[in-house]
Amino acid sequence: MSRPMLVGLGRLILYVAVGGIAALMILPFYWMVVTAFSPATDIIAFPPKWIPSRLILEHFTAAFAKAPWLMYYWNSAVVAVVSVGCSVLFGLFAGYAFAVYRFPLQNVFFLMILATLMVPVQVTSVALYILLSRIGWVDTYLGILAPNFASAFGVFMLRQGIKSIPVDLIEAARMDGAGEVRIVLTIIGPLVKTTIATVAMLLFLSSWNDFLWPVIVINSANLRTLPVGIALFKDPYGNINYGPLMAATVISTGPMLLAYVISQKYMIRGIALTGLKG
Amino acid sequence: MSSHGRGSIRKLVARWHARRIFHAYLFIAPVVVLFGIFRVAPSIQTLLYSFYKVELLRGRFTFIGLENFQALLTDEIFRRATMNTLTYVVAIVPISAFLGLVLAVLFNAEFRLKEVFKAIYFAPMVTSTVAAAMVWWWMYNPQFGIFNVLLRLVGIPDQPWLMSSRMALPSVIIFSVWKTLGYNMIIYLAGLQAIPPQFYEAATIDGASAFGRFRRITIPLLAPTTTFILIYNSILAFQVFDQVFVLTGGGPANSTNVVVLDLYRQAFERYNFGYAAAEAMVLFLFIMGITVLQYVYSQRYEVSY
Repeated sequence: MSRPMLVGLGRLILYVAVGGIAALMILPFYWMVVTAFSPATDIIAFPPKWIPSRLILEHFTAAFAKAPWLMYYWNSAVVAVVSVGCSVLFGLFAGYAFAVYRFPLQNVFFLMILATLMVPVQVTSVALYILLSRIGWVDTYLGILAPNFASAFGVFMLRQGIKSIPVDLIEAARMDGAGEVRIVLTIIGPLVKTTIATVAMLLFLSSWNDFLWPVIVINSANLRTLPVGIALFKDPYGNINYGPLMAATVISTGPMLLAYVISQKYMIRGIALTGLKG
Repeated sequence: MSSHGRGSIRKLVARWHARRIFHAYLFIAPVVVLFGIFRVAPSIQTLLYSFYKVELLRGRFTFIGLENFQALLTDEIFRRATMNTLTYVVAIVPISAFLGLVLAVLFNAEFRLKEVFKAIYFAPMVTSTVAAAMVWWWMYNPQFGIFNVLLRLVGIPDQPWLMSSRMALPSVIIFSVWKTLGYNMIIYLAGLQAIPPQFYEAATIDGASAFGRFRRITIPLLAPTTTFILIYNSILAFQVFDQVFVLTGGGPANSTNVVVLDLYRQAFERYNFGYAAAEAMVLFLFIMGITVLQYVYSQRYEVSY
């Protein structure tokens, strides 16, 4: 075979491999959407109907009749916004302190914060639940938020970001009479805004998709977040109806997937640069 | 308090101000206090509770020494859950890392629609595990699920997937490979792009084949990336819960029961908090072991590079 033909063959194999695996990767998303919009006869058809014979919205009506999805959205949003907001704000100040100041027990505190990364909520859930039940936080927003008010990952990333800022800049601001709080909020904050955006995005994602802790701490149906809502939507003893179930997964994942499609380049780069929240 | 005392406190505060210690503690206070209460204290408490019989409703805590751990040793279901978790870790971590590497090598070339493909591969990673597992639960349905329908189309008999104790754990693993593959690919891709192209050019001039270049340059230079991926994936794999909860609920016959699921049931369905705390300690030991392994390996790399 000639060299150009070999290169052409290599290209072909590359496209077949990349395209073929991509088809497998996207199949669950495609099948979710198709099932959600297909009439019941299409859903169980053989050979499978890759394109619905007609688009119907009945499964969505059924899904909305069975569970308050907008309330789940609201709960997920409240938890995500408060936990991301607090984690970023507290992380910015703590990151500044660890990056700029020298103070007694600095390393002890920093290691204590990093050590929490090694003890996930899976391990601490028992004692955390008992603690929260004593202070009356079980089955409240505060209960879901308790382990997520601050983020070790956020502190670490923001400290790294702030470390790259020249000390002269901070000194100059101090000369101008700016207080430390003002320096953090009006000078440091804008300078590390890309780090803040990346941290905020990753924390939002992990809060939005978190399941174990919310399902432990929440009993009331009206406090469920989206993952808890969708997990308990499947009634293990009831009549299984896949149309409404897939409509429910479309409802619960759709907006996030849409946000991903719009910002995927930025999201992927953020994750490649930072690893991911542990 | 005497005026003298107040004055010296004021002096102390003034000195703190000068050294910015006051600000340092003020700024780290929210994180330290919140972590102290909601992360560090519960970690220590969980360790303590593992030596207690906890009856939360009666508010009774009885010290029972090592009884919880002794009971764990003879608990068939927990042993099964531990074995399943280990099997899951040992299967998913290398498979997902290897496939991630293969994909990263493919994506290191330039081709059309590359960014679109990359986004498709990464999409499962940003999707909620619970929602994604729900879709797979439907796809694994033995009668109407798309997997068996596709198998039927090419003449392969129906598979029981999640319904059989032999196939359920592999089915969960296939789901998790799909879920984590994109992440490993992206991390490997970042590692590949950090390798200076001169290395490859020099090797090509020396007559190294494509495979030789991959084995002698790519693999060794990616070693730190590989270590990170193996550690990170292992730690997450030990905590597997969401997909098992949705896909199988631990069944059939405990064939997919895992440590966190058993812990969840013992604590929050049966209220055996002390016993669950002991299980949490076992889980912690596994995660700790991985972290120690990482430390040992990272020391070795510092020597070899």
